[in-house]
Amino acid sequence: MTPTSGPEPVIRVDGVGIRFRRNRRGRRSFKDFFSDSSRRSRPGEFWALRDVSFEVRPGEAIGVVGRNGQGKSTLLKLVAEVILPDTGSVTVSGGVAPLIEITGGFVADLTVRENVYLTAGLHGMRRHEIDERFDEIVDFAEISAFVDTPYKHLSSGMKVRIAFAVISRLEEPVILVDEVLAVGDKAFREKCYARIEQMLADGRTLFLVSHNERDLKRFCARGLYLDKGELVFDGPLDEALARYSSDHPPRPAA
Amino acid sequence: MSTALADRPRRTGAARYRQTLWLLTSRDLKVRYSTSALGYVWSILDPLVMAGIYYFVFQVVFKRSVGEDPYIVFLLSGLLPWMWFNGAVSDSTRAFIREAKLVRSTKIPRTIWVFRLVGSKGIEFALSLPVLALFAVVGRAELHWQVVFLPVAMVMQTVLVAGVGLVVAPLVVFFRDLERATKLALRFLFYASPIIYGTQDLPDELHLLAAFNPLSGIFGLYRAAFFPEQLDLLEVLVGAGMCVVLLVIGLGVFRASERAVLKEI
Repeated sequence: MTPTSGPEPVIRVDGVGIRFRRNRRGRRSFKDFFSDSSRRSRPGEFWALRDVSFEVRPGEAIGVVGRNGQGKSTLLKLVAEVILPDTGSVTVSGGVAPLIEITGGFVADLTVRENVYLTAGLHGMRRHEIDERFDEIVDFAEISAFVDTPYKHLSSGMKVRIAFAVISRLEEPVILVDEVLAVGDKAFREKCYARIEQMLADGRTLFLVSHNERDLKRFCARGLYLDKGELVFDGPLDEALARYSSDHPPRPAA
Repeated sequence: MSTALADRPRRTGAARYRQTLWLLTSRDLKVRYSTSALGYVWSILDPLVMAGIYYFVFQVVFKRSVGEDPYIVFLLSGLLPWMWFNGAVSDSTRAFIREAKLVRSTKIPRTIWVFRLVGSKGIEFALSLPVLALFAVVGRAELHWQVVFLPVAMVMQTVLVAGVGLVVAPLVVFFRDLERATKLALRFLFYASPIIYGTQDLPDELHLLAAFNPLSGIFGLYRAAFFPEQLDLLEVLVGAGMCVVLLVIGLGVFRASERAVLKEI
């Protein structure tokens, strides 16, 4: 699992830039989105990320640090390929298990069982693969008694648990985690951590966005530090955290 | 690396696309049928009630001079495919907005968000055909060999609905007013298409114009099974051309706006 040993990178981010409108209510003209996306910046828009490049080799565990609004989650979504960059390219070889908005695919009116098959299927699992893992998923979420209950009748804790259980059971080589571990009670959170550690031990690649230094240190060896949409530092996690806290002292004076 | 990861065969894009499309299409149908006891009946009832109303107004009150006998079969053979077109196009105004969370968290090909509506409404249409058959039997409508055009009509309509959906779905994300505009346009199109009448009933100068409405050719093909005179080759050919043109436009608009749509939702 040493970062330098892997042959081909699983994630290659090359000169990526993406811009958003500053004012979401702003007016939009047809001309606006039929014109090609080039590097020119239009009024009312800002670059959430600019010229970000890095490579991730199989088995690496990467933590992304930075203040709110510096492009961390955007970077994660780009790697998950749920948004597309305006410049540069993102190449991810192999599938991704995104722990982003994990409950998003669940349908209130369908039962837990139907939802598990639906969500796992949408992430590319085949029916027989889900059949094999179904019991384990339900046991992990501790909701065996509710498999035929409509999803809307579950408690919010159960909803998150079953969602985590499904996504974390996807047999994909890359895992993306966005602060998702902040949810659930303490015991379940510990279980999630154990699951992630086990996935890392299996040789998976982890991409973690978090404000929690303890979480980052627990899983990650390499850190990316983003500031104002630029990748300021890419190297050992401890150094990244040190750079981050020296730029932004945790407790401002007075 | 664990063997489980390395050995897992990866599927081709096309197989994955089909699986995902089917998953979402069947989800739509499941939700529709699991949330109400009368699931299937509801999807039939709407066109039936409409047919009943038009039958009363035009057959009983106005002693109509348009369409053909039996008028109820004539009506239904236009109304049922119209329900498909109307349902898929009006649902496509919310194709992204309603599924925003899912769009934001899964990397499936984005055209699926539109095509699943084409699919689920198309399947509902196919399931409603027995009702048409029932009325045809009861109304003693004669079945002609032109019934073989049914698949042709369905293919044309699939292309048409997909094309229109691909234009409407992404644009509504930016222009919310388009949702209302689409509803209005659909209402207009209902009367501008040969549903309660046939294109033969139009004044001569409107015939060419009607041919450019792809629904004219499509409904003509459906109706030919019972009313062969409703089939007009010009309408079918022009309509087929329009369907393809609309699909090409749709794919273009969709591709051009996909990036911006993903940012917006």
